Amino acid sequence: MSITQHQPEAGSATEPHGNPKPRFWTGRSEFVVVAVLYTLAILLTIGTATMHVQGKSSPGPQFFPIIVCILLYLVATLLAIQILRSPKVPDNSIHPGHGQFSADMLHDLGHLGKEEAEAFDDAPSKTPANTWKTYSDWRTVGLMLAGVVAFVALLEPLGWIISATMLFWVVTYALGSHRRFFDIGVGLLFSSIIQLAFGAGLGLSLPSGFIGGIL
Amino acid sequence: MEQLELLMGGFASALTPINLLWVLIGALLGTAVGVLPGLGSAMAVALLLPVTFSLEPTAAFIMFAGIYFGGLFGDSTSGILLNTPGHSSAIASTFEGHRMAKSGQAAKALATCAIGAFIGGLIATTLVVFFAPTLVKMATVFGPAEYFALAVFAFLAISAVVSESVIRGIAALGIGLALALVGIDGPSGTARFTLGMPQLFDGISVIVITVGLLALGEVFHIASRIHRDPIATRIETKGRARLNLADFKKALPAWLRGTAFGAPFGLIPAGGAEVPTFLAYGTEKQLAKRRNDPEFGTTGSIHGLAAPEAAANATAGTAMGALLALGLPTSATAAIMLAAFQQYGMQPGPLLFERSGDLVWALLASLFIGLVILVMINIPFASVWAKLLSIPKHYLYAGITVFSMLGVYAVSSAVLDLWLLIAIGLVGFLMRRYNIPLAPVLIAVILGPMAETELRRALAVSEGDLGILVDSPITVTLYLVLAVALALSAVQHLRHRATRKAA
Repeated sequence: MSITQHQPEAGSATEPHGNPKPRFWTGRSEFVVVAVLYTLAILLTIGTATMHVQGKSSPGPQFFPIIVCILLYLVATLLAIQILRSPKVPDNSIHPGHGQFSADMLHDLGHLGKEEAEAFDDAPSKTPANTWKTYSDWRTVGLMLAGVVAFVALLEPLGWIISATMLFWVVTYALGSHRRFFDIGVGLLFSSIIQLAFGAGLGLSLPSGFIGGIL
Repeated sequence: MEQLELLMGGFASALTPINLLWVLIGALLGTAVGVLPGLGSAMAVALLLPVTFSLEPTAAFIMFAGIYFGGLFGDSTSGILLNTPGHSSAIASTFEGHRMAKSGQAAKALATCAIGAFIGGLIATTLVVFFAPTLVKMATVFGPAEYFALAVFAFLAISAVVSESVIRGIAALGIGLALALVGIDGPSGTARFTLGMPQLFDGISVIVITVGLLALGEVFHIASRIHRDPIATRIETKGRARLNLADFKKALPAWLRGTAFGAPFGLIPAGGAEVPTFLAYGTEKQLAKRRNDPEFGTTGSIHGLAAPEAAANATAGTAMGALLALGLPTSATAAIMLAAFQQYGMQPGPLLFERSGDLVWALLASLFIGLVILVMINIPFASVWAKLLSIPKHYLYAGITVFSMLGVYAVSSAVLDLWLLIAIGLVGFLMRRYNIPLAPVLIAVILGPMAETELRRALAVSEGDLGILVDSPITVTLYLVLAVALALSAVQHLRHRATRKAA
């Protein structure tokens, strides 16, 4: 169990598709996070510089954003350096809240030892078959993302019941359900119950879309 | 004993049939999200906040009280039966809990959990009732510099001391602080980072951020792994969970020790139940070694399960006290509860007991009622709850996706919020993928505005002299404790790195 373990270093671990040829990006895809942090920092910098400051309070409204900007630039740079120095490939074990808590600290507090690590050895095998090329299943994530984007775009024109049924169906399909017509029925039932319970019962205004225009 | 009178008043307003129904709904929902891996009370409260907005505040908070404890009642079920803990607060109870289940004592293990959660929560909530007024009195001497120190303490404790990687923890903190900056700046009226959009003048709703990170981010994460993670095998339990008198007597000292570890941690912003549960587990392990307990580590010792369970709920109980009396959220769930108060126009802290005393005491009373209901629905029906684990994943997550959209749309009927939700959901997915902790984001979003206001207030009084921040014994103590904790955690990381290198 990973609470007592650490992510393997890229060099020591075999590649998921069984081809141990580390390239520069192997274990360094976390640069995406660095990019997000820099983007956020740059947006904040532009926003702070172009702010129309009201009033003459001191310290003013730009004071705290400047601190946050510095923090973001600093932490993004440090993260980039760390990724360059020690690339990591993701471990395949299941660990809720991994990263939230220092394994070192919990290890010491719990006096964990071999017994706890062994407790998970008969747990489901960590990598049943290493046949995929990437750690994340981008096809499923892409389908889900397309589903939610379509839902938001279509919510007001089509109304809650139709768009929510569609979203429900896309998610079940992406997550591997094969009973397509049955799933549409479940989705329709689910979104209608929500419309009734929260729309009629609790007074939320859900968009009715073009059907509302017809009725 | 003024508190007892007030608490009785709270019971009087909480014990109406309709409010009992709300507690029951909250308890059912809470246990359900607790049993289901990856979900939790924080997400459940965030999703329900917008859709319960038409309820009166007392009814809503009574329901949240049920959810708040409920999430910790069910959280060990998946760890015990599947050996895959669904929540980080349940990892410590999985070690011995799953061993007990494997040796045919699953029903006993589930009962130990439910009673442990009940005892821990009961003692901690009682402590809150008696010590809340003391905390309130303490808080009234706090000025801007003290509140800023408290916020800094919470930020660094959660992002740097307890998290796996200091850099990733601080990165999460930075993201949260940045998100909290959007909107009209209170003191000056300046519009900040709104890109000229009036919908953003009120800032990005905490609900959008929480649902995005905890619900949609989790759904994306599950999607990225669903065809790859192995499927765990479940140990079946039959009949009702039960505990005979001998086992009860055996577990009682462990429950009490666990509570003693858990209760103080509710007051410290250390991110919730993980630290005390491991501490409780470690102590039981040492004790078992000393008395040569043959069960510990083989067939599963009831002690090793009882202590962490009680610790988790004791932490949650006293965390509620810190939240109500000081306005300080010490875990992600407490942060969402704080956001819930803000949604209803209330600010937890010393003034809350004066201004909304009725609601506070009704809430405390419903925590007690919630615990009783939870233990009643958990012990006889433990195996029914375990059935939730066999819900097909695709229906579960499809439902959660649709419900997140509903919850966020209900905040202000704005499509912009839904686009923000998707963006934040993707950030939540990235953070899970790269093991970046989520709790610092939530704490920063909730406490960020408070930290900024108090810092500016303090510096305005001192006319820019930074010395005011370390001008009182309280602030100096807070910063010193923080510095010691940071140093200790650095030493710990270095020592472990050295042993790993040597191995």
